[in-house]
Amino acid sequence: MRNRSLTSRILLNVLAWSIVFVIAFPLVWMILTSVKPQFELFRIPPTILPQEVTFEHYHRVLVETPFLKYFRNSVILAVGTTVLVIVIATLGAHSLVRFSYPGRERLAQLVLFTYLLPSVVLIIPLYLLMVWLGIANTLFSLMLAYTTFALPFALWLLRSFMQGIPQDLEAAALVDGASRMEAFVDVILPQAVPGIISTALFTFILAWNEYLYALVLVNTDEARPLTTGVMNMLITAFNIEWSLLMAASVMMSLPVIIVFALLQKHLTRGFGAGGVKG
Amino acid sequence: MLLSSQYAALGVLLIAPTVLVFCAVIVYPLVSAIYLSLFSIYTPTLQGKWVGLDNYAKLLASGEFWGALRVTLVWTIGTLVLQLVFGIALALLLHQNLVFRSLARGLILFPYFVSTVVAVLVWRWLFNDLYGILNHVLLAAGLIDMPLDWLGQMPNAMVSLILVGAWKYFPFVVITVLARLQTIPDHLYEAAEMDGAGPVARFFDVTLPQLRDVLLVVILLRAIWDFKEFDLIWLMTGGGPVTSTQTLPLLVYRSAFGLNEMGGASAVAVLMMLVMLVFMALYIRAQRQE
Repeated sequence: MRNRSLTSRILLNVLAWSIVFVIAFPLVWMILTSVKPQFELFRIPPTILPQEVTFEHYHRVLVETPFLKYFRNSVILAVGTTVLVIVIATLGAHSLVRFSYPGRERLAQLVLFTYLLPSVVLIIPLYLLMVWLGIANTLFSLMLAYTTFALPFALWLLRSFMQGIPQDLEAAALVDGASRMEAFVDVILPQAVPGIISTALFTFILAWNEYLYALVLVNTDEARPLTTGVMNMLITAFNIEWSLLMAASVMMSLPVIIVFALLQKHLTRGFGAGGVKG
Repeated sequence: MLLSSQYAALGVLLIAPTVLVFCAVIVYPLVSAIYLSLFSIYTPTLQGKWVGLDNYAKLLASGEFWGALRVTLVWTIGTLVLQLVFGIALALLLHQNLVFRSLARGLILFPYFVSTVVAVLVWRWLFNDLYGILNHVLLAAGLIDMPLDWLGQMPNAMVSLILVGAWKYFPFVVITVLARLQTIPDHLYEAAEMDGAGPVARFFDVTLPQLRDVLLVVILLRAIWDFKEFDLIWLMTGGGPVTSTQTLPLLVYRSAFGLNEMGGASAVAVLMMLVMLVFMALYIRAQRQE
Protein backbone atom coordinates (compact mmCIF):
# COMPACT_ATOMS: atom_id res chain seq x y z
CA MET A 1 0.00 0.00 0.00
CA ARG A 2 2.49 2.61 1.15
CA ASN A 3 6.25 2.38 0.66
CA ARG A 4 8.18 1.71 3.80
CA SER A 5 11.90 1.37 4.18
CA LEU A 6 13.27 -1.99 5.22
CA THR A 7 14.59 -0.73 8.56
CA SER A 8 11.26 0.67 9.65
CA ARG A 9 9.59 -2.61 8.78
CA ILE A 10 12.15 -4.55 10.82
CA LEU A 11 11.68 -2.18 13.76
CA LEU A 12 7.92 -2.58 13.54
CA ASN A 13 8.22 -6.37 13.57
CA VAL A 14 10.62 -6.35 16.52
CA LEU A 15 8.32 -4.05 18.48
CA ALA A 16 5.17 -6.05 17.72
CA TRP A 17 6.76 -9.39 18.49
CA SER A 18 8.29 -8.15 21.76
CA ILE A 19 4.82 -7.08 22.92
CA VAL A 20 3.33 -10.40 21.83
CA PHE A 21 6.08 -12.15 23.78
CA VAL A 22 5.39 -10.15 26.96
CA ILE A 23 1.67 -10.96 26.70
CA ALA A 24 2.30 -14.64 26.12
CA PHE A 25 5.01 -14.82 28.79
CA PRO A 26 2.78 -15.84 31.76
CA LEU A 27 1.62 -18.86 29.78
CA VAL A 28 5.16 -19.75 28.70
CA TRP A 29 6.24 -19.42 32.33
CA MET A 30 3.43 -21.77 33.38
CA ILE A 31 4.76 -24.47 31.05
CA LEU A 32 8.40 -23.91 32.04
CA THR A 33 7.56 -24.05 35.77
CA SER A 34 5.59 -27.26 35.32
CA VAL A 35 8.63 -29.18 34.02
CA LYS A 36 11.20 -27.88 36.54
CA PRO A 37 12.11 -30.04 39.54
CA GLN A 38 10.70 -28.62 42.80
CA PHE A 39 14.11 -27.49 44.18
CA GLU A 40 14.89 -25.51 41.03
CA LEU A 41 11.96 -23.15 41.70
CA PHE A 42 13.64 -21.79 44.81
CA ARG A 43 16.95 -20.89 43.18
CA ILE A 44 18.09 -17.30 43.55
CA PRO A 45 18.52 -15.96 40.93
CA PRO A 46 15.85 -18.09 39.23
CA THR A 47 16.67 -20.14 36.16
CA ILE A 48 14.74 -19.22 33.04
CA LEU A 49 14.98 -22.49 31.11
CA PRO A 50 14.78 -25.64 33.22
CA GLN A 51 18.24 -27.16 33.83
CA GLU A 52 16.59 -30.51 34.15
CA VAL A 53 13.28 -31.38 32.52
CA THR A 54 10.98 -33.58 34.56
CA PHE A 55 7.42 -34.79 34.13
CA GLU A 56 7.06 -36.03 37.72
CA HIS A 57 4.59 -33.24 38.57
CA TYR A 58 2.25 -34.34 35.79
CA HIS A 59 2.53 -37.89 37.03
CA ARG A 60 1.77 -36.83 40.61
CA VAL A 61 -1.23 -34.70 39.59
CA LEU A 62 -2.72 -37.63 37.68
CA VAL A 63 -1.99 -40.31 40.29
CA GLU A 64 -2.07 -38.61 43.69
CA THR A 65 -4.90 -36.08 43.25
CA PRO A 66 -8.55 -36.36 42.13
CA PHE A 67 -7.56 -34.46 38.96
CA LEU A 68 -8.86 -37.15 36.60
CA LYS A 69 -12.22 -37.25 38.36
CA TYR A 70 -12.54 -33.45 38.06
CA PHE A 71 -11.47 -33.69 34.43
CA ARG A 72 -14.17 -36.26 33.72
CA ASN A 73 -16.78 -34.06 35.44
CA SER A 74 -15.69 -31.04 33.39
CA VAL A 75 -15.93 -33.01 30.14
CA ILE A 76 -19.45 -34.27 30.96
CA LEU A 77 -20.52 -30.79 32.04
CA ALA A 78 -19.11 -28.88 29.09
CA VAL A 79 -20.25 -31.39 26.45
CA GLY A 80 -23.68 -31.79 28.08
CA THR A 81 -24.24 -28.05 28.37
CA THR A 82 -23.10 -27.50 24.77
CA VAL A 83 -25.40 -30.16 23.28
CA LEU A 84 -28.40 -29.05 25.34
CA VAL A 85 -27.89 -25.38 24.56
CA ILE A 86 -27.13 -25.83 20.84
CA VAL A 87 -30.27 -27.92 20.20
CA ILE A 88 -32.57 -25.46 21.99
CA ALA A 89 -30.85 -22.36 20.61
CA THR A 90 -30.77 -23.54 16.97
CA LEU A 91 -34.54 -24.07 16.97
CA GLY A 92 -35.10 -20.84 18.92
CA ALA A 93 -32.85 -18.72 16.70
CA HIS A 94 -34.52 -20.08 13.56
CA SER A 95 -37.89 -19.14 15.04
CA LEU A 96 -36.70 -15.63 15.99
CA VAL A 97 -35.28 -14.96 12.51
CA ARG A 98 -37.77 -16.63 10.16
CA PHE A 99 -41.18 -16.54 11.79
CA SER A 100 -43.65 -13.87 12.74
CA TYR A 101 -45.75 -13.99 15.87
CA PRO A 102 -46.76 -11.56 18.60
CA GLY A 103 -44.02 -10.86 21.17
CA ARG A 104 -41.14 -11.90 18.89
CA GLU A 105 -39.30 -8.57 19.09
CA ARG A 106 -39.85 -8.37 22.84
CA LEU A 107 -38.38 -11.86 23.20
CA ALA A 108 -35.29 -10.98 21.16
CA GLN A 109 -34.68 -8.05 23.49
CA LEU A 110 -35.17 -10.24 26.54
CA VAL A 111 -32.48 -12.57 25.16
CA LEU A 112 -30.06 -9.67 24.87
CA PHE A 113 -30.93 -8.48 28.37
CA THR A 114 -30.32 -11.91 29.90
CA TYR A 115 -27.04 -12.16 27.96
CA LEU A 116 -25.79 -9.21 30.04
CA LEU A 117 -27.30 -10.32 33.36
CA PRO A 118 -24.78 -10.93 36.18
CA SER A 119 -24.65 -14.47 37.59
CA VAL A 120 -24.52 -13.25 41.20
CA VAL A 121 -28.10 -11.97 40.90
CA LEU A 122 -29.39 -15.41 39.92
CA ILE A 123 -27.17 -17.50 42.14
CA ILE A 124 -29.06 -17.27 45.44
CA PRO A 125 -32.49 -18.21 44.01
CA LEU A 126 -30.87 -20.92 41.87
CA TYR A 127 -29.16 -22.35 44.95
CA LEU A 128 -32.49 -22.43 46.80
CA LEU A 129 -34.21 -23.96 43.75
CA MET A 130 -31.64 -26.77 43.47
CA VAL A 131 -31.89 -27.51 47.20
CA TRP A 132 -35.69 -27.55 46.97
CA LEU A 133 -35.64 -29.87 43.93
CA GLY A 134 -33.19 -32.10 45.77
CA ILE A 135 -30.62 -31.99 42.95
CA ALA A 136 -27.98 -29.80 44.61
CA ASN A 137 -24.48 -31.29 44.37
CA THR A 138 -25.10 -32.99 41.03
CA LEU A 139 -23.65 -32.41 37.58
CA PHE A 140 -27.20 -32.02 36.30
CA SER A 141 -27.85 -29.04 38.58
CA LEU A 142 -24.70 -27.37 37.24
CA MET A 143 -25.74 -28.06 33.66
CA LEU A 144 -29.08 -26.35 34.34
CA ALA A 145 -27.32 -23.41 35.98
CA TYR A 146 -24.91 -23.09 33.04
CA THR A 147 -27.82 -22.67 30.63
CA THR A 148 -28.54 -19.33 32.35
CA PHE A 149 -25.55 -17.75 30.60
CA ALA A 150 -24.92 -20.24 27.77
CA LEU A 151 -28.42 -20.19 26.27
CA PRO A 152 -28.79 -16.39 25.88
CA PHE A 153 -25.26 -16.27 24.50
CA ALA A 154 -25.83 -19.09 21.99
CA LEU A 155 -29.20 -17.69 20.93
CA TRP A 156 -27.76 -14.25 20.30
CA LEU A 157 -24.79 -15.58 18.34
CA LEU A 158 -26.85 -18.02 16.26
CA ARG A 159 -29.47 -15.38 15.59
CA SER A 160 -26.90 -13.09 13.99
CA PHE A 161 -25.43 -15.99 11.97
CA MET A 162 -28.86 -17.03 10.74
CA GLN A 163 -29.80 -13.50 9.75
CA GLY A 164 -26.98 -13.79 7.21
CA ILE A 165 -28.59 -16.74 5.38
CA PRO A 166 -30.54 -15.45 2.35
CA GLN A 167 -34.35 -15.73 2.51
CA ASP A 168 -34.60 -16.79 -1.15
CA LEU A 169 -33.11 -20.23 -0.52
CA GLU A 170 -35.85 -21.22 1.87
CA ALA A 171 -38.54 -19.58 -0.29
CA ALA A 172 -37.38 -21.60 -3.32
CA ALA A 173 -37.58 -24.84 -1.35
CA LEU A 174 -41.14 -23.98 -0.29
CA VAL A 175 -42.14 -23.28 -3.90
CA ASP A 176 -40.78 -26.75 -4.76
CA GLY A 177 -43.28 -28.19 -2.29
CA ALA A 178 -41.17 -28.65 0.84
CA SER A 179 -42.76 -28.01 4.24
CA ARG A 180 -41.28 -25.41 6.59
CA MET A 181 -39.56 -28.09 8.68
CA GLU A 182 -38.20 -29.87 5.59
CA ALA A 183 -36.86 -26.56 4.33
CA PHE A 184 -35.27 -25.95 7.74
CA VAL A 185 -33.52 -29.33 7.77
CA ASP A 186 -32.51 -29.43 4.08
CA VAL A 187 -31.74 -25.77 3.36
CA ILE A 188 -31.20 -23.72 6.52
CA LEU A 189 -29.29 -26.21 8.68
CA PRO A 190 -26.53 -26.98 6.13
CA GLN A 191 -26.05 -23.22 5.64
CA ALA A 192 -25.90 -22.67 9.38
CA VAL A 193 -23.25 -25.31 10.11
CA PRO A 194 -20.26 -22.91 10.34
CA GLY A 195 -22.24 -20.68 12.71
CA ILE A 196 -23.31 -23.65 14.80
CA ILE A 197 -19.70 -24.84 15.06
CA SER A 198 -18.48 -21.41 16.22
CA THR A 199 -21.29 -21.16 18.76
CA ALA A 200 -20.68 -24.68 20.05
CA LEU A 201 -16.96 -23.97 20.53
CA PHE A 202 -17.63 -20.78 22.47
CA THR A 203 -20.27 -22.48 24.60
CA PHE A 204 -17.90 -25.34 25.36
CA ILE A 205 -15.15 -22.95 26.46
CA LEU A 206 -17.57 -20.89 28.57
CA ALA A 207 -18.81 -24.02 30.36
CA TRP A 208 -15.30 -25.44 30.72
CA ASN A 209 -14.07 -22.24 32.41
CA GLU A 210 -17.10 -21.50 34.63
CA TYR A 211 -16.27 -21.00 38.30
CA LEU A 212 -18.95 -19.20 40.38
CA TYR A 213 -21.87 -21.65 39.95
CA ALA A 214 -19.55 -24.58 40.58
CA LEU A 215 -18.32 -22.89 43.76
CA VAL A 216 -21.81 -22.35 45.16
CA LEU A 217 -23.84 -25.30 43.88
CA VAL A 218 -21.40 -28.19 44.30
CA ASN A 219 -19.72 -29.27 47.49
CA THR A 220 -18.59 -32.82 46.71
CA ASP A 221 -15.72 -34.26 44.69
CA GLU A 222 -18.22 -36.47 42.83
CA ALA A 223 -19.59 -33.48 40.92
CA ARG A 224 -16.77 -30.95 41.21
CA PRO A 225 -15.38 -29.66 37.89
CA LEU A 226 -11.75 -28.70 37.27
CA THR A 227 -12.08 -24.98 38.05
CA THR A 228 -13.12 -25.36 41.68
CA GLY A 229 -11.27 -28.68 42.00
CA VAL A 230 -7.88 -27.23 41.11
CA MET A 231 -8.45 -24.22 43.40
CA ASN A 232 -9.23 -26.70 46.18
CA MET A 233 -5.85 -28.34 45.60
CA LEU A 234 -4.28 -24.94 46.21
CA ILE A 235 -6.18 -24.23 49.40
CA THR A 236 -5.96 -27.64 51.05
CA ALA A 237 -2.22 -28.20 50.51
CA PHE A 238 0.02 -27.37 53.48
CA ASN A 239 2.60 -25.53 51.47
CA ILE A 240 1.72 -24.45 47.96
CA GLU A 241 3.51 -26.64 45.42
CA TRP A 242 3.70 -24.33 42.46
CA SER A 243 5.12 -26.82 40.00
CA LEU A 244 2.23 -29.18 40.78
CA LEU A 245 -0.32 -26.40 40.29
CA MET A 246 1.31 -25.30 37.05
CA ALA A 247 1.20 -28.89 35.74
CA ALA A 248 -2.50 -29.06 36.65
CA SER A 249 -3.06 -25.68 34.94
CA VAL A 250 -1.37 -26.87 31.75
CA MET A 251 -3.47 -30.02 31.62
CA MET A 252 -6.62 -28.09 32.42
CA SER A 253 -5.92 -25.73 29.50
CA LEU A 254 -5.21 -28.55 27.02
CA PRO A 255 -8.77 -28.87 25.66
CA VAL A 256 -8.94 -25.10 25.17
CA ILE A 257 -5.53 -25.10 23.46
CA ILE A 258 -6.59 -27.93 21.13
CA VAL A 259 -9.92 -26.31 20.26
CA PHE A 260 -8.06 -23.09 19.70
CA ALA A 261 -5.23 -24.42 17.53
CA LEU A 262 -7.53 -26.44 15.28
CA LEU A 263 -10.37 -24.00 14.93
CA GLN A 264 -9.04 -20.49 15.38
CA LYS A 265 -10.88 -19.35 12.27
CA HIS A 266 -14.25 -20.40 13.67
CA LEU A 267 -13.56 -18.61 16.93
CA THR A 268 -12.60 -15.32 15.29
CA ARG A 269 -15.72 -15.47 13.17
CA GLY A 270 -17.88 -15.93 16.27
CA PHE A 271 -16.24 -12.89 17.77
CA GLY A 272 -17.27 -10.72 14.84
CA ALA A 273 -20.84 -11.98 14.69
CA GLY A 274 -22.16 -12.07 18.21
CA GLY A 275 -19.75 -10.14 20.35
CA VAL A 276 -20.19 -6.84 18.67
CA LYS A 277 -22.57 -6.68 15.76
CA GLY A 278 -26.03 -7.84 16.58
CA MET B 1 -44.20 -14.95 2.44
CA LEU B 2 -41.94 -16.73 4.95
CA LEU B 3 -42.89 -14.34 7.69
CA SER B 4 -46.63 -14.66 7.04
CA SER B 5 -48.68 -15.48 10.10
CA GLN B 6 -49.93 -18.83 8.75
CA TYR B 7 -46.71 -20.27 10.15
CA ALA B 8 -47.03 -18.51 13.50
CA ALA B 9 -47.94 -21.72 15.35
CA LEU B 10 -44.83 -23.52 14.11
CA GLY B 11 -42.71 -20.52 15.06
CA VAL B 12 -44.09 -20.53 18.57
CA LEU B 13 -43.51 -24.28 18.82
CA LEU B 14 -39.83 -23.84 17.87
CA ILE B 15 -39.26 -21.10 20.43
CA ALA B 16 -41.20 -22.96 23.17
CA PRO B 17 -38.19 -24.87 24.61
CA THR B 18 -36.25 -21.59 24.86
CA VAL B 19 -39.10 -19.83 26.64
CA LEU B 20 -39.55 -22.77 29.01
CA VAL B 21 -35.86 -22.84 30.02
CA PHE B 22 -35.78 -19.04 30.27
CA CYS B 23 -38.73 -19.00 32.64
CA ALA B 24 -37.33 -21.78 34.82
CA VAL B 25 -33.69 -20.69 35.20
CA ILE B 26 -33.72 -16.95 34.50
CA VAL B 27 -37.10 -15.22 34.91
CA TYR B 28 -38.18 -17.16 38.01
CA PRO B 29 -34.82 -16.66 39.82
CA LEU B 30 -34.79 -13.00 38.85
CA VAL B 31 -38.22 -12.32 40.32
CA SER B 32 -37.33 -14.54 43.25
CA ALA B 33 -34.17 -12.49 43.95
CA ILE B 34 -36.25 -9.34 44.30
CA TYR B 35 -38.75 -11.16 46.54
CA LEU B 36 -35.99 -12.67 48.73
CA SER B 37 -34.45 -9.24 49.25
CA LEU B 38 -37.51 -8.37 51.38
CA PHE B 39 -36.76 -11.15 53.87
CA SER B 40 -34.12 -11.86 56.46
CA ILE B 41 -32.91 -15.40 55.74
CA TYR B 42 -30.35 -17.40 57.71
CA THR B 43 -28.43 -19.44 55.10
CA PRO B 44 -27.75 -22.75 56.97
CA THR B 45 -31.40 -23.27 57.99
CA LEU B 46 -33.03 -21.23 55.18
CA GLN B 47 -35.51 -19.89 57.77
CA GLY B 48 -36.77 -16.48 56.76
CA LYS B 49 -38.86 -13.69 58.13
CA TRP B 50 -40.44 -10.74 56.34
CA VAL B 51 -38.58 -7.46 56.91
CA GLY B 52 -39.91 -5.36 54.03
CA LEU B 53 -37.46 -2.76 52.80
CA ASP B 54 -35.26 -3.00 55.92
CA ASN B 55 -32.43 -4.73 54.03
CA TYR B 56 -32.26 -1.81 51.60
CA ALA B 57 -32.45 0.81 54.35
CA LYS B 58 -29.60 -0.89 56.22
CA LEU B 59 -27.48 -1.18 53.08
CA LEU B 60 -27.89 2.41 51.98
CA ALA B 61 -27.01 3.56 55.50
CA SER B 62 -23.94 1.29 55.75
CA GLY B 63 -20.46 2.18 54.60
CA GLU B 64 -19.94 -1.36 53.27
CA PHE B 65 -22.27 -1.02 50.30
CA TRP B 66 -20.96 2.39 49.24
CA GLY B 67 -17.39 1.20 49.76
CA ALA B 68 -17.99 -1.82 47.54
CA LEU B 69 -19.63 0.38 44.90
CA ARG B 70 -16.62 2.71 44.94
CA VAL B 71 -14.18 -0.23 44.65
CA THR B 72 -16.24 -1.65 41.77
CA LEU B 73 -16.11 1.67 39.92
CA VAL B 74 -12.35 2.08 40.47
CA TRP B 75 -11.73 -1.47 39.20
CA THR B 76 -14.10 -1.12 36.22
CA ILE B 77 -12.80 2.22 35.04
CA GLY B 78 -9.14 1.34 35.67
CA THR B 79 -9.15 -1.97 33.87
CA LEU B 80 -11.44 -0.74 31.07
CA VAL B 81 -9.16 2.19 30.22
CA LEU B 82 -6.11 -0.09 30.08
CA GLN B 83 -7.98 -2.64 27.96
CA LEU B 84 -8.96 0.07 25.48
CA VAL B 85 -5.51 1.66 25.23
CA PHE B 86 -3.67 -1.66 24.86
CA GLY B 87 -6.41 -3.12 22.71
CA ILE B 88 -6.49 -0.29 20.16
CA ALA B 89 -2.69 0.03 20.07
CA LEU B 90 -2.23 -3.68 19.44
CA ALA B 91 -4.99 -3.81 16.86
CA LEU B 92 -3.19 -1.04 14.94
CA LEU B 93 0.11 -2.96 15.21
CA LEU B 94 -1.38 -6.29 14.15
CA HIS B 95 -3.08 -4.59 11.21
CA GLN B 96 0.38 -3.96 9.75
CA ASN B 97 2.27 -6.43 7.62
CA LEU B 98 3.98 -8.56 10.23
CA VAL B 99 5.84 -11.82 9.79
CA PHE B 100 3.73 -14.71 11.13
CA ARG B 101 0.83 -12.35 11.66
CA SER B 102 -1.80 -15.03 12.28
CA LEU B 103 0.43 -16.71 14.88
CA ALA B 104 0.80 -13.35 16.65
CA ARG B 105 -2.98 -12.93 16.63
CA GLY B 106 -3.48 -16.40 18.05
CA LEU B 107 -1.02 -15.78 20.90
CA ILE B 108 -2.65 -12.44 21.73
CA LEU B 109 -6.07 -14.07 21.93
CA PHE B 110 -5.01 -16.76 24.32
CA PRO B 111 -5.37 -14.92 27.66
CA TYR B 112 -9.02 -14.31 26.79
CA PHE B 113 -9.80 -18.00 26.33
CA VAL B 114 -7.76 -19.47 29.14
CA SER B 115 -9.73 -20.21 32.32
CA THR B 116 -9.69 -17.46 34.95
CA VAL B 117 -8.57 -20.09 37.45
CA VAL B 118 -5.49 -20.85 35.36
CA ALA B 119 -4.80 -17.16 34.75
CA VAL B 120 -4.99 -16.41 38.48
CA LEU B 121 -2.75 -19.33 39.47
CA VAL B 122 -0.11 -18.28 36.95
CA TRP B 123 -0.23 -14.62 38.02
CA ARG B 124 -0.10 -15.47 41.71
CA TRP B 125 3.06 -17.44 40.97
CA LEU B 126 4.51 -14.51 38.99
CA PHE B 127 3.57 -12.16 41.86
CA ASN B 128 5.02 -14.46 44.57
CA ASP B 129 6.99 -12.17 46.88
CA LEU B 130 9.92 -14.56 47.49
CA TYR B 131 10.31 -16.62 44.35
CA GLY B 132 8.18 -14.77 41.82
CA ILE B 133 9.93 -13.84 38.58
CA LEU B 134 8.38 -10.37 38.52
CA ASN B 135 10.14 -9.16 41.67
CA HIS B 136 13.41 -10.70 40.47
CA VAL B 137 13.27 -8.94 37.14
CA LEU B 138 12.38 -5.59 38.72
CA LEU B 139 15.13 -5.98 41.36
CA ALA B 140 17.70 -6.96 38.75
CA ALA B 141 16.71 -3.99 36.60
CA GLY B 142 17.16 -1.71 39.62
CA LEU B 143 13.57 -0.46 39.48
CA ILE B 144 12.85 -1.51 43.08
CA ASP B 145 15.10 -2.04 46.13
CA MET B 146 12.84 -4.43 48.03
CA PRO B 147 10.57 -7.22 46.78
CA LEU B 148 7.06 -5.80 46.31
CA ASP B 149 4.06 -7.25 48.09
CA TRP B 150 1.80 -7.32 45.03
CA LEU B 151 -1.44 -8.55 46.55
CA GLY B 152 -1.23 -8.05 50.32
CA GLN B 153 -1.21 -4.23 50.50
CA MET B 154 -3.04 -1.27 49.08
CA PRO B 155 -2.82 0.27 46.57
CA ASN B 156 -0.70 -2.60 45.17
CA ALA B 157 -3.57 -5.10 45.28
CA MET B 158 -5.90 -2.89 43.23
CA VAL B 159 -3.14 -2.06 40.73
CA SER B 160 -2.32 -5.77 40.34
CA LEU B 161 -5.99 -6.60 39.79
CA ILE B 162 -6.38 -3.89 37.19
CA LEU B 163 -3.25 -5.08 35.37
CA VAL B 164 -4.29 -8.74 35.33
CA GLY B 165 -7.82 -7.75 34.27
CA ALA B 166 -6.38 -5.74 31.40
CA TRP B 167 -4.14 -8.65 30.38
CA LYS B 168 -7.02 -11.12 30.45
CA TYR B 169 -9.66 -9.06 28.63
CA PHE B 170 -7.87 -6.69 26.21
CA PRO B 171 -7.88 -9.35 23.42
CA PHE B 172 -11.61 -8.76 23.07
CA VAL B 173 -10.87 -5.15 22.14
CA VAL B 174 -8.06 -6.20 19.77
CA ILE B 175 -10.21 -8.64 17.79
CA THR B 176 -13.27 -6.42 17.46
CA VAL B 177 -11.25 -3.33 16.53
CA LEU B 178 -9.08 -5.33 14.11
CA ALA B 179 -12.17 -6.64 12.33
CA ARG B 180 -13.37 -3.06 11.85
CA LEU B 181 -9.96 -1.77 10.75
CA GLN B 182 -9.94 -4.25 7.89
CA THR B 183 -13.11 -2.71 6.47
CA ILE B 184 -11.89 0.91 6.38
CA PRO B 185 -11.41 1.70 2.68
CA ASP B 186 -7.82 2.51 1.61
CA HIS B 187 -8.85 5.55 -0.40
CA LEU B 188 -9.72 7.43 2.80
CA TYR B 189 -6.08 7.13 3.89
CA GLU B 190 -4.78 8.00 0.44
CA ALA B 191 -6.93 11.12 0.34
CA ALA B 192 -5.73 12.17 3.79
CA GLU B 193 -2.14 11.56 2.78
CA MET B 194 -2.52 13.73 -0.32
CA ASP B 195 -3.86 16.46 1.93
CA GLY B 196 -0.54 16.19 3.77
CA ALA B 197 -1.73 14.38 6.90
CA GLY B 198 1.00 12.55 8.81
CA PRO B 199 0.50 9.19 10.55
CA VAL B 200 -0.79 10.79 13.79
CA ALA B 201 -3.23 13.07 11.97
CA ARG B 202 -4.42 10.11 9.85
CA PHE B 203 -5.17 8.17 13.04
CA PHE B 204 -7.24 10.97 14.54
CA ASP B 205 -8.91 12.14 11.31
CA VAL B 206 -9.60 8.83 9.57
CA THR B 207 -9.17 5.80 11.82
CA LEU B 208 -10.75 7.01 15.04
CA PRO B 209 -13.98 8.39 13.49
CA GLN B 210 -14.38 5.12 11.57
CA LEU B 211 -13.94 3.14 14.79
CA ARG B 212 -16.44 5.24 16.74
CA ASP B 213 -19.44 2.91 16.53
CA VAL B 214 -17.45 -0.23 17.27
CA LEU B 215 -15.73 1.43 20.21
CA LEU B 216 -19.03 2.55 21.69
CA VAL B 217 -20.34 -1.01 21.68
CA VAL B 218 -17.03 -2.43 22.97
CA ILE B 219 -16.92 0.08 25.83
CA LEU B 220 -20.50 -0.67 26.90
CA LEU B 221 -20.05 -4.43 26.73
CA ARG B 222 -16.73 -4.45 28.55
CA ALA B 223 -18.03 -1.99 31.17
CA ILE B 224 -20.94 -4.35 31.89
CA TRP B 225 -18.71 -7.43 32.02
CA ASP B 226 -16.00 -5.81 34.13
CA PHE B 227 -18.59 -4.41 36.54
CA LYS B 228 -19.97 -7.89 37.25
CA GLU B 229 -16.59 -9.68 37.32
CA PHE B 230 -16.40 -12.13 40.21
CA ASP B 231 -13.93 -14.95 39.47
CA LEU B 232 -10.81 -12.91 38.84
CA ILE B 233 -11.10 -10.68 41.90
CA TRP B 234 -12.31 -13.39 44.26
CA LEU B 235 -9.48 -15.73 43.27
CA MET B 236 -6.76 -13.07 43.17
CA THR B 237 -7.34 -11.23 46.46
CA GLY B 238 -10.62 -12.57 47.91
CA GLY B 239 -11.55 -8.91 48.35
CA GLY B 240 -8.56 -8.24 50.59
CA PRO B 241 -6.53 -6.85 52.18
CA VAL B 242 -9.52 -6.67 54.58
CA THR B 243 -12.18 -5.30 52.21
CA SER B 244 -10.14 -2.90 50.09
CA THR B 245 -10.76 -4.82 46.84
CA GLN B 246 -14.24 -6.06 47.70
CA THR B 247 -16.45 -5.31 44.71
CA LEU B 248 -20.26 -5.63 44.67
CA PRO B 249 -20.35 -9.21 43.30
CA LEU B 250 -17.95 -10.26 46.08
CA LEU B 251 -20.13 -8.52 48.66
CA VAL B 252 -23.15 -10.50 47.41
CA TYR B 253 -21.27 -13.78 47.68
CA ARG B 254 -19.78 -13.03 51.10
CA SER B 255 -23.10 -11.82 52.57
CA ALA B 256 -24.92 -14.94 51.36
CA PHE B 257 -22.37 -17.66 52.04
CA GLY B 258 -19.93 -16.09 54.48
CA LEU B 259 -22.17 -14.01 56.73
CA ASN B 260 -25.17 -16.31 56.10
CA GLU B 261 -27.47 -13.38 55.31
CA MET B 262 -29.27 -14.38 52.09
CA GLY B 263 -31.89 -11.65 52.21
CA GLY B 264 -29.31 -8.89 52.63
CA ALA B 265 -27.20 -10.46 49.86
CA SER B 266 -30.18 -10.45 47.50
CA ALA B 267 -30.72 -6.77 48.26
CA VAL B 268 -27.09 -6.02 47.26
CA ALA B 269 -27.59 -8.03 44.07
CA VAL B 270 -30.76 -6.12 43.19
CA LEU B 271 -29.11 -2.74 43.81
CA MET B 272 -26.12 -3.82 41.75
CA MET B 273 -28.43 -4.75 38.90
CA LEU B 274 -30.14 -1.36 39.09
CA VAL B 275 -26.77 0.33 38.56
CA MET B 276 -26.04 -1.99 35.63
CA LEU B 277 -29.45 -1.40 34.03
CA VAL B 278 -28.26 2.00 32.85
CA PHE B 279 -25.45 0.45 30.81
CA MET B 280 -27.64 -2.42 29.65
CA ALA B 281 -30.32 -0.04 28.37
CA LEU B 282 -27.68 1.97 26.50
CA TYR B 283 -26.26 -1.19 24.93
CA ILE B 284 -29.65 -2.53 23.89
CA ARG B 285 -30.45 0.85 22.31
CA ALA B 286 -27.13 0.90 20.46
CA GLN B 287 -27.87 -2.58 19.11
CA ARG B 288 -31.32 -1.61 17.89
CA GLN B 289 -29.97 1.35 15.95
CA GLU B 290 -27.71 -0.86 13.81
